[in-house]
Amino acid sequence: MDARTEAPLRLKRTWSSVFETGFGARIYPYFLVFPAVVIVLGVVVYPVISGILWSFYDVTLRKLVSGDVAFVGLRNFQRVFEDPAFLQASYNTLIWVVLNVIAQLGLGLALALLLHRAIPGIGFFRSGILVPWVVPSVVAVLTWRWMYDPSVGIVNELLVRLGVIDAYHPWLGDTATSLYAVTVESIWKGTPFVMLLLLAALQLVPRSILEAASMDGAPGWRKLWYVILPQIRVSFAIAAVLTFILTVNNFNAIWLMTEGGPLNSSEILFTLAYKYGFQRFDLGMASAVATMLFIGLVIATTLYLKLMQAREGD
Amino acid sequence: MTISAASESRLPTMKPASASRVHSRSHVLRRAALYVSLWIAFIWSVFPFYWMIATSLRTREDVFQRPPSLIPHTITIQNYIDLLVGAHFWRFAMNSLILTFSVTLISVLISVTAGYAMARHRFKGSVMLPLFMLYGQMFPPVLLLIPFYVQLRFLGWLDSLYGLIPVYLSYMLPLCVWLMRGFFSQVPHSLEDAARMDGCTRWQAFWKVILPMAQPGIVAVATWVMIHSWNEFLYASTFILSEKKRTLPLALSELIGQYTTDWGVLMAGGVLTAAPIVLVFFFLQKNLVAGVGGGAVKG
Amino acid sequence: MRKILKSGIVAATLSVAMGHSALADNIVMWVNSPLLAGPNAPLHQELKAFEAATGHTVEVQAVSHMEMERNLFVALSSGAGPDVMALDIAWVAGLADAGLLLDITEQTKPIAAEYQPGPFASGRYGQKQYALPLYTNNVALFVNDQMLEQAGIKKAPTTWAEFRDAAVAMTNKDKQTYGVSFGGSRMGAFQLYSYIWQNGGEIVDNQGKSRVSEPAAVEAVDFLAKLYTQNRAMPESVLTAGNWDEVHAPFIQERAGMVVTGDWALAAFAKGNPKLKFSVHPLPSGIQAATVIGGYDLAIKADTKFPKASFELIRWLTGPRSVELMRKYERLSATTAATTPEAVAALPKPLQPFMSQAATGRARPVIASWTQIHSDVFGNVWDSVIRGKPAKDAMSEADIAIKRLLEKK
Repeated sequence: MDARTEAPLRLKRTWSSVFETGFGARIYPYFLVFPAVVIVLGVVVYPVISGILWSFYDVTLRKLVSGDVAFVGLRNFQRVFEDPAFLQASYNTLIWVVLNVIAQLGLGLALALLLHRAIPGIGFFRSGILVPWVVPSVVAVLTWRWMYDPSVGIVNELLVRLGVIDAYHPWLGDTATSLYAVTVESIWKGTPFVMLLLLAALQLVPRSILEAASMDGAPGWRKLWYVILPQIRVSFAIAAVLTFILTVNNFNAIWLMTEGGPLNSSEILFTLAYKYGFQRFDLGMASAVATMLFIGLVIATTLYLKLMQAREGD
Repeated sequence: MTISAASESRLPTMKPASASRVHSRSHVLRRAALYVSLWIAFIWSVFPFYWMIATSLRTREDVFQRPPSLIPHTITIQNYIDLLVGAHFWRFAMNSLILTFSVTLISVLISVTAGYAMARHRFKGSVMLPLFMLYGQMFPPVLLLIPFYVQLRFLGWLDSLYGLIPVYLSYMLPLCVWLMRGFFSQVPHSLEDAARMDGCTRWQAFWKVILPMAQPGIVAVATWVMIHSWNEFLYASTFILSEKKRTLPLALSELIGQYTTDWGVLMAGGVLTAAPIVLVFFFLQKNLVAGVGGGAVKG
Repeated sequence: MRKILKSGIVAATLSVAMGHSALADNIVMWVNSPLLAGPNAPLHQELKAFEAATGHTVEVQAVSHMEMERNLFVALSSGAGPDVMALDIAWVAGLADAGLLLDITEQTKPIAAEYQPGPFASGRYGQKQYALPLYTNNVALFVNDQMLEQAGIKKAPTTWAEFRDAAVAMTNKDKQTYGVSFGGSRMGAFQLYSYIWQNGGEIVDNQGKSRVSEPAAVEAVDFLAKLYTQNRAMPESVLTAGNWDEVHAPFIQERAGMVVTGDWALAAFAKGNPKLKFSVHPLPSGIQAATVIGGYDLAIKADTKFPKASFELIRWLTGPRSVELMRKYERLSATTAATTPEAVAALPKPLQPFMSQAATGRARPVIASWTQIHSDVFGNVWDSVIRGKPAKDAMSEADIAIKRLLEKK
């Protein structure tokens, strides 16, 4: 499609004529992608590689100033494993990711099914439900922090009025609830995006398939499981991977609500790495945690996509 | 292509209206249940946004009143006045604006040619490169944070707005290229061929014919970059150190102080920070939803 | 078109060049944001006076306390950052140890007598002077007079036992009132130190040895923790309060009868609840009286281009004029001039108890890793004891952690 060999009819000579024939034509696509590739090499590839390399060096802010940076092999990883906060953070990350992914996918699918109907006023509901996605994340997090306020927070007041709790509860201050309280915010913020992806996919499902299922009189959940889900499987997989990645990297929610506290009860690996790096200024340890996080992300994503492919093959 | 237009006109309801039959009671019940769930979802989604606006319009006493009341007793714009007069809100807004504009401009300019080349041309890496761009999104920012820090420090670009531009490109550009590629593959080939018949060079055909055709996609990508740069917090909070270079999200987070946190003012700041994004979103809803929903899925 | 472009470039180059020459004696200064609240903050006028007198210019920027230490560390160690900075007295050691502050020992020798010895010493690290005190403070006991009276107690507590009794008496589950409002994590930790010293305990002694596992320190922590875990005399916000505002909130809302805080609370109370009737008292004493010294110093960055002008500036702000300047902020100047009877009498009444107990003030240990000891170790101690961990266990773990931090050099 690209290598058009026949000469165009009447070619005005401009500077761009050099790309029409011969060597020029061959390098044309490279010329087009060149700036993007250079920038991506500079701001993504190089930093990733050097980030991984840093995790094998004993480097702190002070040593960076004095230039006294030494290779220490796996020593940083060893120190990370010795820190009890790391165990706690790994465990929290697991809970954080599982809850977020399941809830966001489940609610996102439910919302997409709800909104995938031509009934009066649906546009109004759709716009409203997209609000959490639109609000800047810092603004959203700070608002939720305010809503969780232990003495005048509206969340407490509403729950008391609904009879769920007897007295105001410090949701972000209780080690037993802090992680879950932040999770609620994160689900609130993340679900509309999943909904959007799935809704886009649902609208590509041919109506004949849905109608056929309805005629059969299949119950709702069976229709969902056997008819709708297989149709939107690819989008669902993409939504799952994106949600997973966004959740692992969701720094703002935890940092601006609890900073990982109290007593590391809401610490995830991301915030732990950040603390190592920019509170203790131990850049080596921070890189070690970040590297492990990165490897985990790559493995999990690849595995999941492979699994999806395998099922597709069936 | 757009969700709202599509559903209203040609999409089926889940249950085809069997108009001939008398509507059974269960149908009415179902309809009611549907609306109830829609309202629950709506309130759940909108309430925090409402609460932010409501708090921003309260007086100080009303903000800390116990128990809090759902509707403000009196409405005041004092918080907005305090924010716009007292803090350097304008400067922060200007910083955010400059940064957002530069990042958007650069990423669109660069991703547009790359996306086009990947959609239209075969070359070494034309299969791998787009995939790599998608994977580029996966690198955890915390892994990039430290190398960025070391590099910016080396270049003396710490604590500067221009230092943030390459940093922001790192997580904007790859996905931009990926989305652009999706849009260009939707523009029919015949158009380009026709332009070439008319004597355009390949570059001219791209510049004069294809680019205008892909405009909705470009707008979508640009908006997407704009929103994300405007909202970015992690990198800004790590690399911006002095007050006068703060961006809006950073300035907001700093309103939580050691001595006082004025939630009324903070929420007013939240409203003003969110306002441009919300406005842009509702004006470009069509484009955006198609861009992010469609582009990512169709690829 | 070309022409316009060219002249534009020339103009731009010129303005950049001029900008540079104008920057030549421009001192960049960071101060903690409360000092710069609003365009009419007294500091602005003071800096104008300085500029008029010396011909230097000062570009002042506000940084929030929470971010300031980190931002200073990152900025200074990469060659950026302000020429002059205000810094919490607890940070001097860490920054000086990293070689980021300018040694001003020589210049300050002749003027040492002008400063109160405690605050002056806060600018010293390893026999060298790195900073001059801008203002000093300590914590005292704020009491809601009405709640105290309603609880049937005649006078503000002066001993630990009275303190506990008063706190318990003012706690009422039905009315949801509490005895004393306290902070969580770092905020709570900051309040622990006074009590440890009052009980005759130590944190890290002058020989650099950790003493936190000794009974005196453990008892003090236990005493405070039990006010919450046993007596429920602290509001639930003790678990979360991460800044002074959240510590003050229950007291402002008259849900807590007492709060241990510093002079910065006065402005917050006046703003938050102008009708609040309260009185300020020296901290109740244990074996001895003690309160933790706080405050801010001014220091100069090690590789500043304008060491002379910068020193003039910190000298200007901390010198004799600081009595007047700090009075405008309702803060305490750290000069000796501020301790004369006339100067004390000129202070607003609620400030006087702070001045009168200043002699019992103790400085936190001057060690490079103090910030980490404070926020990580003691923050954790307080967070765990109010969640039921025995004080003895928490403090022996803290002891190990502190020893490790002190060894790491």
